Amino acid sequence: MSTDVTAPMSGTIYKIHVTVGEQVSYEDELIILEALKMENPIYAPADGKVTEIKVSEGTEVETNQVLIVLE
Amino acid sequence: MPKKQTPLRPYFEKMPDIGKPLSEGEVRRSKENIDLIGEHEEIIAAEIDKVIKAGLPAEKIHDRGGMTIYDRLEYLIDEGTWSPLHTLYNPADNDEGCTGVINGLGKIKGRWAVIIGFDNKVMAGAWIAGQGENVLMVTDLAKRLNIPLVWLTNCSGVKLMEQESVYAGRRSSGAPFFRHAELNQLGIPILNAIYGTNPAGGGYQGISPTILMAHEKANIAVGGAGIVGGMNPKGQVDAEGAQALIEAAKSFKSKAPGRVETHFDETAYFREVHETEQGVLDGIKDYMRMMPAYDPTMFRVAAPAEPKFPIDELNQIIPINQKRIYDATQVLARLTDNSEFMEYRPDYGREVFTGIAKIDGLPVAFIGNRQGVFPDYPDYAEGAYPAVGGKHYREGLIKQGEFVTLCGRDNLPIVWLQDTTGIDVGDLAEEAELLALGQSLVYSIEQTDLAMMCIVLRKGTAAAHYIMCGPQANNNNAFTVGTPLTEIYVMHGETAAAASYARRLVKEDEAGRDISPIVDKMNQMIQDYQDKSRPVYCAQKGFVDEIVSLTELRKYIQAFVGANYQNPHSITPIHQMILPRTIKG
Repeated sequence: MSTDVTAPMSGTIYKIHVTVGEQVSYEDELIILEALKMENPIYAPADGKVTEIKVSEGTEVETNQVLIVLE
Repeated sequence: MPKKQTPLRPYFEKMPDIGKPLSEGEVRRSKENIDLIGEHEEIIAAEIDKVIKAGLPAEKIHDRGGMTIYDRLEYLIDEGTWSPLHTLYNPADNDEGCTGVINGLGKIKGRWAVIIGFDNKVMAGAWIAGQGENVLMVTDLAKRLNIPLVWLTNCSGVKLMEQESVYAGRRSSGAPFFRHAELNQLGIPILNAIYGTNPAGGGYQGISPTILMAHEKANIAVGGAGIVGGMNPKGQVDAEGAQALIEAAKSFKSKAPGRVETHFDETAYFREVHETEQGVLDGIKDYMRMMPAYDPTMFRVAAPAEPKFPIDELNQIIPINQKRIYDATQVLARLTDNSEFMEYRPDYGREVFTGIAKIDGLPVAFIGNRQGVFPDYPDYAEGAYPAVGGKHYREGLIKQGEFVTLCGRDNLPIVWLQDTTGIDVGDLAEEAELLALGQSLVYSIEQTDLAMMCIVLRKGTAAAHYIMCGPQANNNNAFTVGTPLTEIYVMHGETAAAASYARRLVKEDEAGRDISPIVDKMNQMIQDYQDKSRPVYCAQKGFVDEIVSLTELRKYIQAFVGANYQNPHSITPIHQMILPRTIKG
């Protein structure tokens, strides 16, 4: 079953900590989204494997946009 | 059997629980944060070590059979209660690396006192630059908390080579003598343990407190024996004059005036004289037993309790990266008794929290910034932008003003937890009256007669640093502590550089000139802001009264609260408090 990791708010992707194929654990930091002068870490909602990264560093994203897919 | 209870038990005995254990993910992710905070703590510890080692080596004093100021403090103060203040304070950047006095809050024989002593390793306790201001901060603290001031006097007087930096002026080293008189008039006793030679300024330092006790070799006098008279007034020293001085100094054998033979046997200024240095401190301990102090039971609303969550988790919760957010409730849950908090208007002005907690069973108010984003708020922005934690908006300012006013009525001391980037700006903010509401909060603070403690957890920025009872609130702010994460500046360096050079950049660019010199200046300014906002700098310049590890915060809050309730000059009967009822509704 796949899980979408989405942006909680609009902003710019500041850092991506994972690569495709990487195994991650619940609450691991996947991405840092910069918005309103703050770094907003986005955590893994569950254990899983990164199957897709839909953004790159510097990408501007909107609220609820899918950033990463976990399986 | 008599029945006993704490007052207003239904409100205070069990207040709402706050906080939760850290998740595995939070623990995992926080390792780097702990390390980084540790690095900052090492920098601060190294600076403190330099102050402790200032002047003569301790061994030299020990070899003479004497005690250093640190030995005296250790002997005098109840174990585990010493909460030093102004350790790194050195605003004039003295060569000595300090201002020559060591001070803080501590208990002596179970009673809180503000304690200050001359560092007898540093020029035998001379007046050096910045010391007068340091002493005034200490006398202000005793006045604010209405607790005894204990002096360990050992003062050789003015450092004559630098007299212009200590002698004259409204807040010079002479001003504390008037502060001592003021404290006495207010009924705040000053106990004085006198050691060594104390001429001139040292003499007034000796005589101005309430109770004087001396070591057998101590003296206090209007002037010292070392002032050799008879200089030929030529306006300069020539070889003949120098030779005359040599002869006069060689034959100079008189003892220092104002010895125990005079001020115990003749004038009877000294209540006690002791053969040993410890004996003098024992005398101070005996007098401390006589000092006015309520038993804390008088004001307790519950039995004292430790927080349910370990305080060292603060190093995992508060990110050293200033751009990262955290849950302020999790911080509070590691500071308050039993991790409880009775929040005032939680749904109004959500960017700040206000409420009552207990510290050692005593009721205390807490106010602080929340972090993160608050969608659909503030109302006056009508969706144009969301509120960001750390900033202040209309509702939050109104809430703080109301809360402070109610605390004043209920005599609740306030602990402020600052991590603020400022007050909202722009036309909408002006229309929403934020300028006046900020000053209104200042008025509310000043209008109370409450002691307050300010903790600059991370950022203290712009006017928000003032309105959240920063040290500028001199009549209320007992003391301010920073942490290894503290940054204090008017605005972030990048913002300041942009504000200072944006127009110049446009001008140079339009003229087709090279903008790199301006860019260099901007980066220099950013670096300068960075260097001059660090914790050590903040402590040296007196922006804060001490830098305290996050794990020591509760100890300082306990000292503040315990001292506040020791002998308050105004009391609200607990059962007549209005704030708990206002919260419950």
